[in-house]
Amino acid sequence: MAELLTPLKQLFEWVDMFDSSIALRESTYTWGIILVVHLMCMSWFAGLIVMMDLRLLGVGNMQTPFSQVQRRLFPWQMGAMTLTVITGVVLVYAQPLNYYANIFFWMKMIGMAIAGVNALAFHYISYETISQWDAGVMPPFGARLAGFLGVVLWAGIVMCGRLLPYNWFK
Amino acid sequence: MLMPLFQAMNDWGASTAIRESIWIYPITQAVHLLFLATLIGGLLVVDLRLLGAGLTDQPVSKVARDARKWVVVGLLGLVVTGIPQLMSNAMREYSSDFFWMKMWVLPVAIVFTFTVRHWVTMSERASEGGTGKLVGLLSIALWSGVAIPSRLIGLF
Repeated sequence: MAELLTPLKQLFEWVDMFDSSIALRESTYTWGIILVVHLMCMSWFAGLIVMMDLRLLGVGNMQTPFSQVQRRLFPWQMGAMTLTVITGVVLVYAQPLNYYANIFFWMKMIGMAIAGVNALAFHYISYETISQWDAGVMPPFGARLAGFLGVVLWAGIVMCGRLLPYNWFK
Repeated sequence: MLMPLFQAMNDWGASTAIRESIWIYPITQAVHLLFLATLIGGLLVVDLRLLGAGLTDQPVSKVARDARKWVVVGLLGLVVTGIPQLMSNAMREYSSDFFWMKMWVLPVAIVFTFTVRHWVTMSERASEGGTGKLVGLLSIALWSGVAIPSRLIGLF
């Protein structure tokens, strides 16, 4: 397993040596500012995802058809996510080996991949029958499961993000 | 003037217990973020709507009414998870400019949200016009003014 990961580790080690990476990690304010932007964008993204998933779960925002909630919030979710990812990449770029050795970082990465699969599965499976459950009724089990998994996964990802500095498991 | 209070808070048994535990403070911080996401989501759908974006097929009042529960849940959760953090870190927060910035802006943001912004969202005329946009922008600015210093407390 370790040999399979060697190219990945070498990539992180290579970036760790860049002058720009070193400059960022030694900066007084820049890294902190990028972190704050990352968190602001993350809160917008996570907040709008929570609003949408509450609707999918049949718990909140039930007065609005789901397709409307999804369609109207999607551009804002994606915009916020894009900025969160960009700032996230820069943060990792500044301290690659630090994150490579951090289990919470990998849990975040894997969590986001699973969340992506969850979203795609929902879009191609449950969303196909949207006309039957768009308004006025409780969404079907598959949709509610996708909503539940979405909340749990993103909550886990956000929590892992907060735990990164604590690095309990090396 | 508040220093004795913060010193006392710092020295409580519960505060010390939180400080000395490896996991209580970090987990509390992490859960604090989940409630933050809930609050921001509840605020943002309405603020975006006031700015003429997001859930535009619905009247502002409906979006606001639906979201209100989550704003309250988010805020309550943030207070409940915020207090242990403050208790265990009282002296560091006392000496942090960003902490006091947050504590000044927070009550303003709360009062604004549950008075002016609430009244505007319930009035169709006010919410659809320039007033609505101004209130939406102010709401975003105020709550950003709470969130940004919060993150800066531990950093600088």
